[in-house]
Amino acid sequence: MTRQEFLARIRGEMRKTSGLFAASVAERPAHPQRIADTLRRELSERWPETLEVFRREFERVGGIFYRVPSLAEVPEVVGALARERGARRVIAWHPSALRADLSGPLMAQDLETHLMPPGGLPEAERHGLRAHIAEADLGLTGVDLAVAETGTLVLVSGAGRPRSTALLPPYHVAVFDRTALVESLQQLGVVLESWHEGQPPVGRGGAIHFITGPSRTADIELTLTRGVHGPKEVHAIFVDAPFVG
Amino acid sequence: MSFRQRAASALNDASLQEALTIATTKFIELRREAFDGFPQGERLRDRARQIKEATLQQLDHYVERLVDNVERLGGHAHYAVTAEEARDIVLEIAKRGGARMAVKTKSMATEEIELNEALTRAGITPVETDLGEYIIQLAHEKPSHIIAPAIHKTKGQVAQLFARELKREVAADAEVLTRIARAELRDKFLRAEVGITGANFAVADTGTVVLVTNEGNGRMVTSLPRVHIAVMGVEKVVPSMTDLMIFLAILAKSATGQKLSVYTTLVQGPRRPGELEGPDEFHLVLLDNGRITQLAGPLREALSCLRCGACLNVCPVYRQIGGHAYGYTYPGPIGILLTAMLHGQESVKELAHASSLCGACADACPVRIDIPRMLIELRQGGVESKTAPWAERVVFKTLGRLLTRPALYRLSARLARLFQRPFVRDGVIRRLPLFFGHWTRTRDLPPVAAPTFSERWAELERES
Ligand code: SF4
Repeated sequence: MTRQEFLARIRGEMRKTSGLFAASVAERPAHPQRIADTLRRELSERWPETLEVFRREFERVGGIFYRVPSLAEVPEVVGALARERGARRVIAWHPSALRADLSGPLMAQDLETHLMPPGGLPEAERHGLRAHIAEADLGLTGVDLAVAETGTLVLVSGAGRPRSTALLPPYHVAVFDRTALVESLQQLGVVLESWHEGQPPVGRGGAIHFITGPSRTADIELTLTRGVHGPKEVHAIFVDAPFVG
Repeated sequence: MSFRQRAASALNDASLQEALTIATTKFIELRREAFDGFPQGERLRDRARQIKEATLQQLDHYVERLVDNVERLGGHAHYAVTAEEARDIVLEIAKRGGARMAVKTKSMATEEIELNEALTRAGITPVETDLGEYIIQLAHEKPSHIIAPAIHKTKGQVAQLFARELKREVAADAEVLTRIARAELRDKFLRAEVGITGANFAVADTGTVVLVTNEGNGRMVTSLPRVHIAVMGVEKVVPSMTDLMIFLAILAKSATGQKLSVYTTLVQGPRRPGELEGPDEFHLVLLDNGRITQLAGPLREALSCLRCGACLNVCPVYRQIGGHAYGYTYPGPIGILLTAMLHGQESVKELAHASSLCGACADACPVRIDIPRMLIELRQGGVESKTAPWAERVVFKTLGRLLTRPALYRLSARLARLFQRPFVRDGVIRRLPLFFGHWTRTRDLPPVAAPTFSERWAELERES
């Protein structure tokens, strides 16, 4: 059936009914970009409370939270948690996506670190790289947004930030600063509207992932089990000093 | 087997009874806790229902907008009026993509169109990757719950199943069993040429298809195979990202008591330039299959369903007989309505009576769908065509008369309180005498309250 026929079919039925009751859709912000900017300004003042809520909710869903003064401490934290878990092979977002090049210091932590390429690759190489990601123990990523209300990390796929970095390895470690924080799902909605309104950031890909804790299932006798297909642990490292990037 | 026989055998299955009680009780508790800690929940439920209704009132507009945006992003839209058309569309895309294996996320829409059977016939191996679905696929069964397809199975049964199908001895331990499934499926994610999903929502404004999962299989299926096909009931479109957030805020709370499910995946077309992963092709199959005529039909309200499963958990009938006894893809109170939608009202003439009309489903429903009202209408269809047992016809006719005559209703409530005394045990009526016995065989009946709601109401009015 063609699009026109299908729509005509819907219209035909719609004509026969006046609906159940008068109803309206949610009011979309008229200038999401502007509201998002105002929000950012407000949050740049009250971020410590937002961070506290984020930490509480993130831990409630099974996440492991760290806070460090600057990016320089991140490799140590990653090194320590990796050693405890016997993880050695690390894959990381490209420095342009992570807004920092941590490969040197991570290597110094005795982690075999592989940086993702900044852009696309030919088919054969893409597959080779994927096999490599599939064998890694730990995926290191940035965070586009951190939602306090639900303890959620939002990651947008794109160049230098392959989707499987935070999916295939058993441990996912995400690094973020105060600029990523929003308070609620409603605010997340505003930011998503603003991305849609404006030009999406260059090099962003076709998928946005909200990640709320480690992969889990309760499909066998409702027993909570972690790490079904995705990571069994999710770590979030908050860096006090905003990244320069 | 008739519904009555299936229900009777479910009632005699002790392990099923235990599994059902444990699961539904847990789900009810989790849902209650989630909403207790969420004061704005009630308001958002009203908003969500409004949005659904407003979207249905302009469905042509939103579907058109959705399709425009999907295509703008480089995806393809397809239109299926029947289940068969939907299957053909999916098969055609899969074959063109040279598929030999298709990995799937849990999707009631693909269950509904019996896609797996069609794929298998076409030489393409469908692999269910949601753990619960994987289990029932190995067992050659159908899901028994909308969101927890294998809740009718004990871990012992799953271990035996894995031993038989995967040829390996395993301990009956949820953790161990999950690890085995992870390893089995990991390889398939990396090999499959095609990924098939349903969709929880699709955002018209942005052309975004939204998948909600806990395990991460949704992310795998939309990131790794070369082709992604999403099959979605046409009523799942929502206008904007702002609307989407309202639904997300109540969906997981109603389903599993989580604030959000672990993974919410927003798919915006195929892989983009510079991206390393993601499908080359993205296809959205919009499915009618009985939905569109209901825009003007008696089941219109059921088009607002989010498939959260809350109404199943609270239903006294579902809790007793489980999902399989219903005999169709969609079980539980909403399942009866959806079955009528998909297969016609004739198909549910027995099922329409598999409800005590206690109203628990409507209370639990995040979008406040008045399921009992529609069940009564379906039964009245039965009353007209005389398919319901005569005793029940008499009861419902009488009830109809009573409900429209307040004085008579109050009097009969008082009489009922007197007559019900011998039958009430632990606050419910489990067995009625004579021919009414049929009715209580699979249902508990709440006794007439003392004082009744209308007496209480009169009292409150006097007090204020
Ligand atoms: S009818 Fe309501 S409660 Fe039942 S599955 Fe649909 S949305 Fe959930």
